[in-house]
Parts: sequence; C-alpha cells; structure tokens
Amino acid sequence: MYACVYRPPAQDQPAGDARTLAGVAEAFSPRFEVHREDLVSIDVSGLKRLLGPSQTIVDELRRDAKSRGMAVHVAVAATRTTAMVLALARLGVTVVERGGEAAALAAVPIGMLEKIEEFCTHSSLSSQKKEEQKISAGSACSACNRWGVKTFGELASLPAADLLARLGPPARVWQAIARGEDLRPLIPTLADERFESSMELEWPIEGLEPLSFVVTRLLEPLSTRLERRDRGAAVLHVMLGLVTKDMHARRLELPAPMRDVRTLRTLALLDLEAHPPAAAIDRVAIVIDPTPGRVLQHTLFTRAHPTPEQLSTLVARLGALMGQDRFGAPAVVESYRPGAFAMAPFATEWAGKAGGKNLETEGSSVPPSVVSALRRCRHPVPARVSVVDNRPVRVTTDRRGFAGGTVVHCAGPWRTSGEWWVSGTASVSHPTNPPYQTHPTSWNRDEWDVSLNDGAVYRIFLDRERDAWFVDALVD
Amino acid sequence: MIPAIAPNARVAELESLLRARKLDRTLTTAIPAAPVRDDALVAATGIGALDARLTGGFPRGQLSELVGPRSSGRTSVTLQLLAAATARGELVALVDALDMLDVESAAAAGIDLERLLWVRGHVVSNPGLCRDMNQRALEQAIRALALVLQAGNFGIVVLDVAEAPADAIRRLPFTTWLRLQRMVEGSQTTCLLVGAESMARSSAGLTVKLGIRDWGLGIRFENRLFDGLNLEARVIRARARSHEEANVALSTIASHCA
Repeated sequence: MYACVYRPPAQDQPAGDARTLAGVAEAFSPRFEVHREDLVSIDVSGLKRLLGPSQTIVDELRRDAKSRGMAVHVAVAATRTTAMVLALARLGVTVVERGGEAAALAAVPIGMLEKIEEFCTHSSLSSQKKEEQKISAGSACSACNRWGVKTFGELASLPAADLLARLGPPARVWQAIARGEDLRPLIPTLADERFESSMELEWPIEGLEPLSFVVTRLLEPLSTRLERRDRGAAVLHVMLGLVTKDMHARRLELPAPMRDVRTLRTLALLDLEAHPPAAAIDRVAIVIDPTPGRVLQHTLFTRAHPTPEQLSTLVARLGALMGQDRFGAPAVVESYRPGAFAMAPFATEWAGKAGGKNLETEGSSVPPSVVSALRRCRHPVPARVSVVDNRPVRVTTDRRGFAGGTVVHCAGPWRTSGEWWVSGTASVSHPTNPPYQTHPTSWNRDEWDVSLNDGAVYRIFLDRERDAWFVDALVD
Repeated sequence: MIPAIAPNARVAELESLLRARKLDRTLTTAIPAAPVRDDALVAATGIGALDARLTGGFPRGQLSELVGPRSSGRTSVTLQLLAAATARGELVALVDALDMLDVESAAAAGIDLERLLWVRGHVVSNPGLCRDMNQRALEQAIRALALVLQAGNFGIVVLDVAEAPADAIRRLPFTTWLRLQRMVEGSQTTCLLVGAESMARSSAGLTVKLGIRDWGLGIRFENRLFDGLNLEARVIRARARSHEEANVALSTIASHCA
C-alpha cells in the first residue's frame, strides 16, 4: 500500500521545503520518495499491524503534518500512481482499497495528466526531456478534449492499440496512469549519510603515541565507508573529550579529497602535536565532512607529481619541523627593496596542471646564458671598508668565514632608496625587513659590487642613514 | 703527373681502406655516437657544454655534488638546473640551510617559482661563532631534506649548505649521506648537494667542482659594471661512469645583461 502526501500552496501557511514533508514521511516509514517539496510518496506496507486500517494511517499522517504546521491532502491506495493522482485531485483524505483504483480515478479530469506524468515515469530523465514530456502531455490533453474524452475513466476505456496509433508511444504511459498502474517502483530518497565514529576510553590516555592507535581504529571503518560511497574527506574534525570535562576540538581542511587512513592519521596527529590538548583524553570522536571523490586519469607520457596526500603530509611535517612560515613557494614582489620577496603556500594539487611549456610554440623561459646569481645575507654582515677617492679599497669583517681583503675591482656606487614616505615601523615578521635598520620600512644605500683578492665577488653597501658599511650578498 | 687530391678526400680514402681491412676501430667515426639524452635517466642542467660532459645531465636516483669556493658559480648553475627542471614541468625543492636564496636571482634564471618548494633554514646571524646553532641548523636542514625525499616524485631536490662552516659539515655522521643515497636510489629524483667542498664522498655518484677560470681574468668588470664570471667545471669523481677528469668552460653574465 502506498500513501501520498500533498501540501497545496496556501496563503496562510509559510512555504516550507522538502525536508519538512520528508520529516513527516520518515516518521512513518523508511521508504519514501520526495518528488517535489510539496509532494511525497510513502510505502506504508506493514503499517496496518502498527497503526490499524488505512483510514487510521491517513488520519495519523494528516495529524502529524498538522502538528508540523502543514495542511495537507493525503491519499492511500494499492498503487503509488493512484495515491498520487488522488492526493493531487481531491481535497482532504482519500482511501482506496485494493481493486478500486480504476473506479476511484474514473472521474479525475484529463488535465491531471500534465501534473502527474513526470513523477510516474523514470526519474533519471533530463530536465529537457521532462519539459518535452510536459508539452506532449498537454497536446494529448487537448486532443482528448477535442475527441470528447474528458476524464481518466474515459481514457482508460479506449482501446490501447488505437490510442497508441493516434497519440504515439507516450499514450501507453497516459493510459496506464489513467488506470492507476505503476510504471516504475518507488525509489527511496536516502538521507545524507553521516561519517562519524567515536570511542569512550576505559582509561584516560596522554600523549600522541597511544592516541595514534585510537585514531587509526576510528578512521579505518570511516575510510571503508567513504570508499564504498565513492567519497573523500574534505574536512576532518577531531574532538577529544578531556578528563576535565572540556572538549578539545580541531578542524582540518584537507587540500584534496582523501580517504587513506595513514595520511588522515598523520595529518591529524601532526595537527595535535602543534595544538596539544591540555589534559588527558577519555573520549575520542572523529567526524568527516565528505565530498565526491577525485577522478584521476593517470598518463604514461607526463612526469608523475607527488599526490595531494603526499604533499599534504610533507607540508604538515615541514610545518612541524621548521615552522609554518619557513617554507613555501617564493614569489617576486613589486618593490625596489633589495632582496624583497614573498612566500606563498606551496600548491598540493598538481594533477591536470600543464606540465612545463611547449618549447616549440611558447619558447623557453630559461635565458640562453647562465645568469650570475646572488647569495643574499638575510642578516647583512657589518663590515669595515677603507675608502680612497670615494672608492672602497679594502673590506674586512669580524665574521668568521668573511675575512675580506683588498678590493681588486669594484663597480658602483648605485644609489637606491625607498619607502621613506612610510611612517612608523613595519611588522617585525616581514620576511624582508633586516633587523639592522632603525626604520625597517625605509632604506637608503649606496651599493657596490667588489671583487676581493680572496677571489670572491661581494655586494656591499653603505647605509647612508647610519653611515655604516655592510656585506649584503655575494655573487656565486 | 699525379693529380692533386684534396685533404678531405685523402682522409676519406684512408678511412675506407681501414674499413676494408677491418681496422676501423682506430677511427674516431667508429666510436658510437653519444646516447640521446634521456630525461628519465638524467636531469639536464640546460647548460649545453656541461650537459655534454655529463652525458646528458646529473643522474637521477643518485646523490650528486656541486662544490667550489665562493663566486665559483655554484648558485648560478644550481638555479639554472632548477629552471631547466621546472621548464620540463617537474616539481623541485631547495632546502636552503642558511636561508640565502635570492628570489630575484631565481626569477632571472627562469625558474617557475610556483613549482619550487623553498625550505628556509633558520638564519644563524653569526655562523662562525655559534657552533651549536650551526649544528642545529644543519641537522634541521638534513631532516627537512629527508622529508622531501620521502614524499617522492620531485624532479630535483637541492641541499644548499654552501656557506655552512666546514667543521659543522664534517661533524655530521658519515652515515647521513649513505642514508640519503638510499632514500633517493631507484627514484626519479636527482638529489644535489651544494657546498664548498665534497662532503658525501663515496655516497655521491657525481661530483662537479667549479672554479674561476683564468685566475685574475675570470671576474669580468666592464664599463664600471660587474659583467659576469668565467668559470670552469671539472668532474672529479663519477660512479659507474667512465669519466676521466674533463674540464668544461662556462661563463655567466650579470642579471642586467640577461
């Protein structure tokens, strides 16, 4: 037996959504299909033993909907199609016993075909196909009206072969609807599956090593379920119940959908290592926000890159070892400040990105000659420079390994300055602010390239604000 | 009168006589041509003369060294190697033990910076005096290098310890290099150690030593501008290769000339 619940539009009741009607259906049966936000079909087989006869079932449905603030029409019949047609066509509650479908539908006007056809045929049709279906049902209704066929009963009594010949293959569907026959089974609407797992510990644990076993135990079944649903974890929630009754919750956003247990465990533990709980743990819960899994197309002709799982783990481990601000992809900034740069996060998803350049069409970005590179002293080395005729002749430092020497050749001076217009001091965390400057946001220097008798070429500069010399870089 | 025969024709005639007598093994033309560079086996530096001496480039799946004193072109060649790798679409990593990379130089060399993972060691303000800090910085850099090698599938991974004090490097256990060699063995990764002197010893498959060519004339200044360096590269050790010591001349140009 099937029941259909229809919530007609009404001015005095607020517009709800499908979840409200689905809640009504879910309260009575796990098998229900949501057609629209105002139309739900429910398989009520077996409810007779629980609730009683069909009249009681429809009364209970209506009462439950009313308690949720909805005024609905309910119909119960032996076929889903009959219940749906009657719920849409009649007010209030309708009960049709088995065998009475044709009689119950006989008086339904033919125009109901346009409203009902899309729910009775296959649900996987595209929206364009459904629109075409509606148009053909409308034209069929017009044809029936011209013939004087005005009700489902009259349509059902027409010979099938003749109807098929005049209206085409869809006529079979229309006549089946008019007779109350089901053309497809009910397709249950599945509730969103929740991926979570938790464990109460018999003894509180401290430290990450014992926690790793618990986390692995919780992640393994979740990973299996994710694989079965072709899902990956997009966000990993780790919630630790502490002996102090507090909750230590961590949320990790993953760079790519993943479900490998080892990777998820490693990322969770690295995060907890950086953000340890304040007390011993007596409860562990893991919740995963799923997302559709990645579809990977491996190729034989392009170089393999590290997977997002490998790069995510590497990034997390480097962060724990070096600090989050000590690694990444360098970036050139629009600044004249010597040695200015920025750090960007290193991308973890490289699949599908173009591999290199087509050298024939795009040309190589690598210059044809080897360009001399600098090795930048992030902390410029204070130096003593002897100057004769405004040119450095000797450079020495107190730094072991930077002994200095006599200047053999020199080029300069090249004056550079900037940001003198910026007031205040810059953030000390700026990666390009050398600590030696009194006003870190500005610089004013004369630079020289000097080759010394130790065989090396250095870039030195005179800080014109402080009248002090420094070794800034060496050419290598 | 015997007609004059052109020198080339004489050579060709002589070669044909030797081949007829099956004595052509002495001919230079009998030596098989150098194998076509295989990107799967070697990582080309993009420097034609150096790649020709290395039979294509630095070998993959092996530890290699690039050593030399200051201003010998170590950094320039390293950046050129990384640029060639990123141009091929590879991901590269640079473990910069003392945080000395100049990003503008890297961009000028043509590196696709998005494909470069730069791991910056903590700066030791006075490496010469702070021995413990030197050692910690080096050990941290080695651990970071091991993590990158474990992740795998990087085309080039460079450990730059060029300015680290020599005694700090010598205090590292010898097994460090053996362990790194085992990690990279069999992979498609080229691991390059950049330093002032050879450090991996027998663990290194290839060592290239750089130096200034024509001492005194190797550093070029022109029109009051630094113009570049004249260098020479020498392969001083190679494992599983029949290299003799071979020098190759290189030149670098200043970035304002590029």
